[in-house]
Amino acid sequence: MPEGRLHPISVATREIADIFSRMGFGVANGPELEDEWHNFDALNVPAEHPARDMQDTFWTTEQPRRLPRTHTSPVQIRFMEEQSKKGILPPFRIIVPGKVFRNEATDATHEAQFYQNEGLAVGEGISLAHLKGTLNQFFKEYLGSEAKVRFRPSFFPFTEPSVEIDVWFEPIGKEGRWLEVMGGGMVHPSVLENAGVDSTKYQGFAFGGGIERLLMVKHGINDIRNFHNGDIRFVYGFQEEKTTKS
Amino acid sequence: MKVSRKWLQTYFEEELPSIEVLAEKITFHAFEIEEIVGDMLDVKVLPDRASYALSHLGIAREIGAILGLRLIRDPLSAKLEPQKISSNRIHITIEDTARCTRYIGTLLEGVTVGPSPLWLKEALESVGSRSINNIVDATNYVMLNLGQPLHAYDAKKLTANKGGEYSIVVRNAHEGERVTTLSGEEYALTRSTLLITDGNEKTSIGIAGVKGGNLAQVDETTTSILIEAAHFTPEGIRKTSQILKLWTDASLRFQNKLSPELAGYAMQDVVNLIREISGGEVVASNDVYEVGDEKVPPVEVTLKKINSVLGSQYNVEVVVEALMRLSLGYMVANEKFTVLVPFYRKDLCIPEDIVEEVGRILGYEAIQPLPLPPLTETPDQNMFRAIEKIKDFLIERGFSEISTQSFSSTGDIILLNPLQKDMPALRMSLVDNMKETLRKATLLAPRVLGTKNQLALFEIGAVFNKDRESRALALGYTPLSGKKTGKVLEDVQHALFIAFENIGIVSASTDEILEITFSEEWLAHLSHEAPPKKVRLGMYRPFSVYPFALRDIAVWTPGGSDVSEVTHIIQKEAGDLFARVDLFDTFEKDGRISLAFRLVLESFERTLTEADIDGVMQKITQKLAATGGFEVR
Repeated sequence: MPEGRLHPISVATREIADIFSRMGFGVANGPELEDEWHNFDALNVPAEHPARDMQDTFWTTEQPRRLPRTHTSPVQIRFMEEQSKKGILPPFRIIVPGKVFRNEATDATHEAQFYQNEGLAVGEGISLAHLKGTLNQFFKEYLGSEAKVRFRPSFFPFTEPSVEIDVWFEPIGKEGRWLEVMGGGMVHPSVLENAGVDSTKYQGFAFGGGIERLLMVKHGINDIRNFHNGDIRFVYGFQEEKTTKS
Repeated sequence: MKVSRKWLQTYFEEELPSIEVLAEKITFHAFEIEEIVGDMLDVKVLPDRASYALSHLGIAREIGAILGLRLIRDPLSAKLEPQKISSNRIHITIEDTARCTRYIGTLLEGVTVGPSPLWLKEALESVGSRSINNIVDATNYVMLNLGQPLHAYDAKKLTANKGGEYSIVVRNAHEGERVTTLSGEEYALTRSTLLITDGNEKTSIGIAGVKGGNLAQVDETTTSILIEAAHFTPEGIRKTSQILKLWTDASLRFQNKLSPELAGYAMQDVVNLIREISGGEVVASNDVYEVGDEKVPPVEVTLKKINSVLGSQYNVEVVVEALMRLSLGYMVANEKFTVLVPFYRKDLCIPEDIVEEVGRILGYEAIQPLPLPPLTETPDQNMFRAIEKIKDFLIERGFSEISTQSFSSTGDIILLNPLQKDMPALRMSLVDNMKETLRKATLLAPRVLGTKNQLALFEIGAVFNKDRESRALALGYTPLSGKKTGKVLEDVQHALFIAFENIGIVSASTDEILEITFSEEWLAHLSHEAPPKKVRLGMYRPFSVYPFALRDIAVWTPGGSDVSEVTHIIQKEAGDLFARVDLFDTFEKDGRISLAFRLVLESFERTLTEADIDGVMQKITQKLAATGGFEVR
């Protein structure tokens, strides 16, 4: 048989993992079905807080209830908890590519199930400038040498300061433009403490964004719903080229 | 929050920049802008700043800080004394003091209800609000200006007792109690809803903090009004809005931790405005405010902390300038700032909050990108790489990766609020989705795979049962020729278990589908995994959502004729409807070669008709026939 095709999400994740490995990031995993503590409470999103409305959540009928995770951020907590338990101190650097779920109507740009990539770097003196430097490097390698990021003020309960992250992208033969691709910021001290990390000594940045969205702009994909409906026309809709070199 | 430039301008002596410049400044220093329409900006105020910024005053403060402009007036700067005028005429009882921490009632007599003056009408309309009458408009205006929701009741529709005393009781609804709102919708309530009631009549006149009722509605006959400026705690309001599915300008603001102090300022402003535009005199006012506002303690932050978090090199003077622009009081000693937080800035609690204020006002564009310091240890990507290695193994053997939905019609884990009613569970296995994908893929195969005669797919994903979540691999295989499956899956399974020892167990196996559930043991003990292959994808070529059509065409060509010459003609003549063409048969006879092609046609605009297809085939046949040496069979 001729060789098969790799799903675009896998293609992107490999490239992302490769770029971040050169900046010292491991790849961490966590469950897709989460408990409320890891998905919300530990991330400084208290019950009865309007911030919970920002992420429409599916809930299970279990007691206590669980949820298909609404973001990959709970893996930040799980990873740091685990390290703390083993007595391992920062620096920590991980990315977390994984599936997430939002209870929202689907259309060409919205899916109830999609992939996010999360990043976390914790250590002494890790700053917002490091976040900018890290993402500049990532996007230059992923999108092209002209890529660069800019920050706008935002709000997430688990980061302070919080920023929206735009990237400058020049598609081949087209004019460049700013794209909103991620949210991020400096990990909120309560989040570090909740995961057992001394926030008076360590600080760090975190970021997260959709993987489909990156693929859509990079390869001109018109409808996000094609990613996870099992339609083979999608996987075969790209020219592909393999290199074994790593 | 919709704000108008003209309204914002009332806070400044200097002419504000154009709406576009304002939008840009706000975007990079404070909030996202959802929309610009004429003179209006729709500002996306996120929950942390909603306690002060869902108001023209709040947005004006932001603009002042960003542009370095002083506000010519600050309605919240004066110290207010509690106003109690003949307070025995308005008796206020708060039964649930945890959910209502302040209630000010003010009675005005001799008001004339009528249309609002032009400036007020224009102000409301400039932010998409409808003018109703001068009383209602005044309450809305002050809310949009200061952020404090207000309500006016027609006092004549309330009942005063023999002593001329009105009674307002703030209490929980009785189970099943009904209330009809100003806009006429009736709601059946549970005990969790807080109501504003007429204590003398025991009737409800409003859903506290959400919407007024229709019983004491102000209309053109109204001559005396009771104005409410109250404070309701966020959790209760949020719950009520969710239960009733009723979100209003008022509930949105109360949900976001307003200061109860604000009610006093808003009452003063609305009374002044009503007296100015509708006449009338205050005859009574009462203010029940037992607990007082939670004092916001000063926040301490060092210059070192600011620079360490932002990665900047600001000095004391620069930080001082940012704090002054934000109108935050401060003391500074030994490079340590003590920031005094005004009562309306409930969002400033920890040092990092001050870091954010300084960072955004001075501008994030000023932060210079810095690479992370190098680490000595190699990052751990073993589990990820091992799974990708399985994918490479399968792709080399002709399997293509697919991705499907995690929702399923059956399973142990049921969702309370599924997206689709017929898919209420999380999948326990990948088998059903693989079966369905194979079925659909079989129909699509000629379009996607041409004349390739087998379909081999795989998916790796999470599966869920009540005890645990696992990762599974499903393989799907179909010989499109209709022949027997043979040993393809069996062989792959065998090879997999040799290449990846202890990978897991076979959790499902049929002629067409094999599922292996990965073992936790295996995933947990990986080390020294090499990176997977790199794959470069080109641009995406979308497919049509309309069905494709298949036609076979066979051509006699002179010996040695180039296949690409024929396919080129076919592609050119099929034009926009061309999807793909594959050679599926070749034989030689009498020095000529017969080439048989399968042509796939599709349109991005519609389902193709027989006439469309015949037209294309005719063009191709004619063109081939007209080309020297070719003969269509």
